[in-house]
Amino acid sequence: MPEKKTPEEILAEARKMIGNETEPVASPYPVEYEPIRRYCMMVDDDNPLFLDPEYARKTKYGAVILPPFAPFGIMSGGSPQTMARLMGQGADEEKVIPPAPGMFLINIAQEWEWFRPVQVGDRLSTKIRLADVYMKSIRIDPKAFWIVFEFIFLNQRAETVCVARNILLRHRSPDEVAADG
Amino acid sequence: MDRKQLYWEDVEIGEAIPTGFSLPIDMTRLCLQVSGTQDYYPVHHDRDFAHTQGVPDPFVNTGFLTAALGKLLTDWIGPEGWLRKFRIEMRKMNLLGETMRVKGRVTGKYVQGEDHLIEADLWCETEGQGVTTPCKATILLPARG
Repeated sequence: MPEKKTPEEILAEARKMIGNETEPVASPYPVEYEPIRRYCMMVDDDNPLFLDPEYARKTKYGAVILPPFAPFGIMSGGSPQTMARLMGQGADEEKVIPPAPGMFLINIAQEWEWFRPVQVGDRLSTKIRLADVYMKSIRIDPKAFWIVFEFIFLNQRAETVCVARNILLRHRSPDEVAADG
Repeated sequence: MDRKQLYWEDVEIGEAIPTGFSLPIDMTRLCLQVSGTQDYYPVHHDRDFAHTQGVPDPFVNTGFLTAALGKLLTDWIGPEGWLRKFRIEMRKMNLLGETMRVKGRVTGKYVQGEDHLIEADLWCETEGQGVTTPCKATILLPARG
């Protein structure tokens, strides 16, 4: 039976992956009105910039635009990774998902930066970069792993429309921590 | 329906963002959350599953939180405003059965080159837990002058 690796050994392996990036995965469909409408509906958002083509046509954008945080998940029926799997493309996410002790995952924070608007009809792609991974103690696990992913959203001209940095935490169970001494 | 445009000169440091609102988190809202975010992870809509994960009830996901915070900002800044940067920290869960209030306050105002920018603190809060989701935003606004 292979010897179980220590968190420090796992961290050393994980840190070698920093900077790895997936190939862009394209959403199979262009940005569409209806997913935007459902997205807005969940929080009672009635902003005509996101919902009314006639109103939006008269603004500087000239067309309905995607609400700022909408690139995550709603691009025409699902995340690009989900759609890629469904459509048989496959995404090389294993390049960016580091090993970590423990199976518990907590979403800690996101940082967003926007560069250009996304209009209905645009075609978006996403690539994921492993930006950082480090060990930092939390109350229930002194050797919790903090993992930082960058989700880079591109339009059909390969221009970056926005970047979302997601900081996640992986930690062990109390029994696993106790067994580690 | 016209939307009012906010101008940089009209913003005061310290003022509360006037477009705050409340959202009751009931099962219908959780269904809308799944529809809107396409996140099917059951901890966000299935009570039994949430309990197996050791959480008291389903809680809204990050996509829902950011949509709500985005609404507060985009309702306020008007069609010429532009959200440039944002940070959100998911400190506590916003649970089924609670009412989530979304609020904000202006914390800074400056000019950088040709850009007129403001900084704001925003947050989600519930009666039972206080602030659950503290955030910071940097917003580009048009200037009158």
